[in-house]
Amino acid sequence: MVTIASYPQMQTGTIMDRDIYAPGLGTIVNIRPLTSLEKVFTIQLPEGQSLGHRPGQFMEVSVFGIGEAPISISSSPSRSNGTFELCARKVGDVTTALHNLKVGDKVGLRGPFGRGFPYENFRGKDILFAPGGLGLAPLRSLINQVLDERNLYGRVIILYGARNPGELLFKDELKAWSERDDVELMLTVDRGDEAWTGNVGVITTLFKFISIYPRNTVAITCGPPVMYRFVLMEFIGKGISEGNIYLSLERKMKCGVGKCGHCQINNIYACQSGPVFPYKEIKGLEEAL
Amino acid sequence: MAPLYYSITTEEQNVSLTILSKSAFQEFVARLLPHYRVVGPVPHDIGYSFEEIQDVTELRMEYPTTILPPKKWFLPPKETLFKFTRKNGGVIQDPPETPPTVILGVHTCDLHAIQLLDTVFSSGQYDVHYMGRRKKTLIISIECLSPCDEHSFCKDMGTLTADEGYDLHLTDLGDSYAIDVGTQAGADLLQNYSSSSVATKEEIQKLNAVINAKWPKFSYRLDFDVSELSSIMELSMKSPLWEELGNRCLACASCTNVCPTCFCFDVKDEVELDLVTGQRVRNWDSCQLDDFATVAGGHNFRASRALRQRHRFMRKGKYILDAHKHLGCVGCGRCARACLVNITPVSTFNELYRQQETGSH
Amino acid sequence: MSSNGKPKIAFFDFTSCEGCQLTVIDSLQDHPELLNVVEIVQFREAMTEKGEDYQIAFVEGSCSRASDEPRLKKIRQQAAIVVALGACAHLGGVNALKALHPLDEVRKYVYGDKADWYETYDARPISAVIDVDYAIPGCPIDRNEFISVVKALLLGKKPPIPDYPLCVECKLKGNVCLYTKGQVCLGPVTRAGCGAICPSFGASCEACRGFITNPNDNSMREVLIEAGLTVEDITSIYTMFTTYQVREKIQQKG
Repeated sequence: MVTIASYPQMQTGTIMDRDIYAPGLGTIVNIRPLTSLEKVFTIQLPEGQSLGHRPGQFMEVSVFGIGEAPISISSSPSRSNGTFELCARKVGDVTTALHNLKVGDKVGLRGPFGRGFPYENFRGKDILFAPGGLGLAPLRSLINQVLDERNLYGRVIILYGARNPGELLFKDELKAWSERDDVELMLTVDRGDEAWTGNVGVITTLFKFISIYPRNTVAITCGPPVMYRFVLMEFIGKGISEGNIYLSLERKMKCGVGKCGHCQINNIYACQSGPVFPYKEIKGLEEAL
Repeated sequence: MAPLYYSITTEEQNVSLTILSKSAFQEFVARLLPHYRVVGPVPHDIGYSFEEIQDVTELRMEYPTTILPPKKWFLPPKETLFKFTRKNGGVIQDPPETPPTVILGVHTCDLHAIQLLDTVFSSGQYDVHYMGRRKKTLIISIECLSPCDEHSFCKDMGTLTADEGYDLHLTDLGDSYAIDVGTQAGADLLQNYSSSSVATKEEIQKLNAVINAKWPKFSYRLDFDVSELSSIMELSMKSPLWEELGNRCLACASCTNVCPTCFCFDVKDEVELDLVTGQRVRNWDSCQLDDFATVAGGHNFRASRALRQRHRFMRKGKYILDAHKHLGCVGCGRCARACLVNITPVSTFNELYRQQETGSH
Repeated sequence: MSSNGKPKIAFFDFTSCEGCQLTVIDSLQDHPELLNVVEIVQFREAMTEKGEDYQIAFVEGSCSRASDEPRLKKIRQQAAIVVALGACAHLGGVNALKALHPLDEVRKYVYGDKADWYETYDARPISAVIDVDYAIPGCPIDRNEFISVVKALLLGKKPPIPDYPLCVECKLKGNVCLYTKGQVCLGPVTRAGCGAICPSFGASCEACRGFITNPNDNSMREVLIEAGLTVEDITSIYTMFTTYQVREKIQQKG
């Protein structure tokens, strides 16, 4: 029997007749370039379906003929409205092909996959975000979720670092956040340019500018592999407890369903148990950081 | 210790043990051939391989081991997951029908491995590709009466026998097979295609004698009990042994490619020359290969051979057991035979045990 | 692009046996539909027309004399994508073996008393002269791999040339390891992609596809010594196709 797959709904339990590897389809309804390497794709699901994701989760995105790649969801559930956003850096075959697509083109989709942020548990607390580079893409989902229910949280502090001013993502939103009284945003770049008047240095150089109430602070980071250890030291140095530190870890999530083995961190499949982990859960894992 | 799972008095215990003479077994297989795809051990070069047979004379039920395990009939080295068209971006699900299949002559180590794979592919997210083939397949396993060779360590791993996972299980009694029925499907197969008879008291005694005689032929090769393996591995993360293995390892991935419990895979798109239609294919992958854990941005999360060997042995001795309640190593010895630099599970596990006993790390 | 929208491709040859181009012709016989998606504008081995307007250049053969360099550079200037076709272009190949002997001796051996008439220098891969985008390895190339590389290039995708050892393909085929049969083989350090064709027919792999990115050379040498090879044997088997690379490695180590 030949069937054209429709978009797989979020399912629980074991489904015995559905092919977990067969993507459904979504339509690109908007493309927004952010930098020379990153674009944001707004994707609509058929029949107004909602993705039903949680901030921190990711999708497996197919460009048929090229392949499939994991891309974190960059929009917040609070703004879903029948669409969601993926921020993709042009770095491999699939993302290069994705960058060549146009509005109206279709992409294959599986997901959402993995464990996202338990943001309901963050309510009433201060949140310290410390994304680096492309790490802002998944954290933006949570940041906007928090901002859309702003009164449920305490302080919102965002420390964001990029290699140079040109690589800062979501500049329009960074500007909007910086103009809000209820968001404390600080930016830094490893290397500035003539126009840059802000902080120069790696992200950890921003921590000396903030003071927090550690017992009531949740700290969250996501960034290039080299960054985690250093940011963690800052979080711990600020007195934030290991249970209140969350990391979103990048791994090669190939299948998304805990089978193919590529994303394993010791005994844990990052695609299923992660990509978001409380630090206390992975602290003992040799391969985590 | 020999498991005495056959009672002498069949009448009282209703034991499902039947007997098939060797010639009747040949006839049984011949009768299956028109109705099933029959797969079994056949000679291949100077070794053996699980292949589809056309004639019962091709079968070699007494074979030492095969290069690749029978898992390839459930998880082929390369398979199409689905077809697609690039024009409207549609997935076309048109899976080829798996013919009803009987796999003959599966050793108990491989049977344990198949049980693990069944768990992996049916639990959590259900894999229709593996399970589709698995559900169409009946397994007729065979009791091993002597070790395959010096690399086998099934006795240590507790896989020298199996009490489930088969549809029918054979034990060679010389001129006949004692057949243990594992499932209703196995019973039906026997009923429909063979002229088996219920075992007599003498035959059951003979079976017991054969089973009792086999165990001493297998030696223990691990210096510790397998129940300790997981905790030995847990304490071995920082062992200096990994660096040593990494220096020797060729990263050729032969160890994982011949392993009956390895199931890691890669997925790729292939396109026809019309550049429009194509298929997404899955092929075996290996954690021993350089770029297995490399992300698109270029970072390799397991860049050294030492870390990759550690990961392999951790999976075999601990991770798989933790996740699936089956050991990730069944003692078949295939990886040891395939390794050109003599990295073997027995020597690795024993060395880690020794290091812990002597506190040398 | 040609007026029909098909990318134009061209084939060129330098020092080689032209066996890779023959393999291309062979693959065209299996896949004539290739001509529906590309236009071949230059292919001396197969056609007389000679177009100079092309986007993809496939170059067979190593560069073995200084006067070949301008021609290579001209190809590089014209083509958006340059692909080395086969071991000679990719590695220098068997031609590079002459570097193991004094050049004058080699020239006299080959050309006798006409030696002075012929210009030559150490044979080298074309990447030693021009930037090369991709290489299709092998002596000769694998016909299926050629097709899959063309498809990938047309799709704007990195050609799927494996960077893992031949042992992977050999094992997946279920072959008995040649070492088990008392033979030696360079499979553990050689780039896969040929379907382990030589070992599948009982012949040792001689690394015509070159080495993987991170071969464990020390361990490979120990395996070969254990198999009874002398140091000279090992040098000889290691340099059959990869003299240029082996010499480069030695130079890097000083």
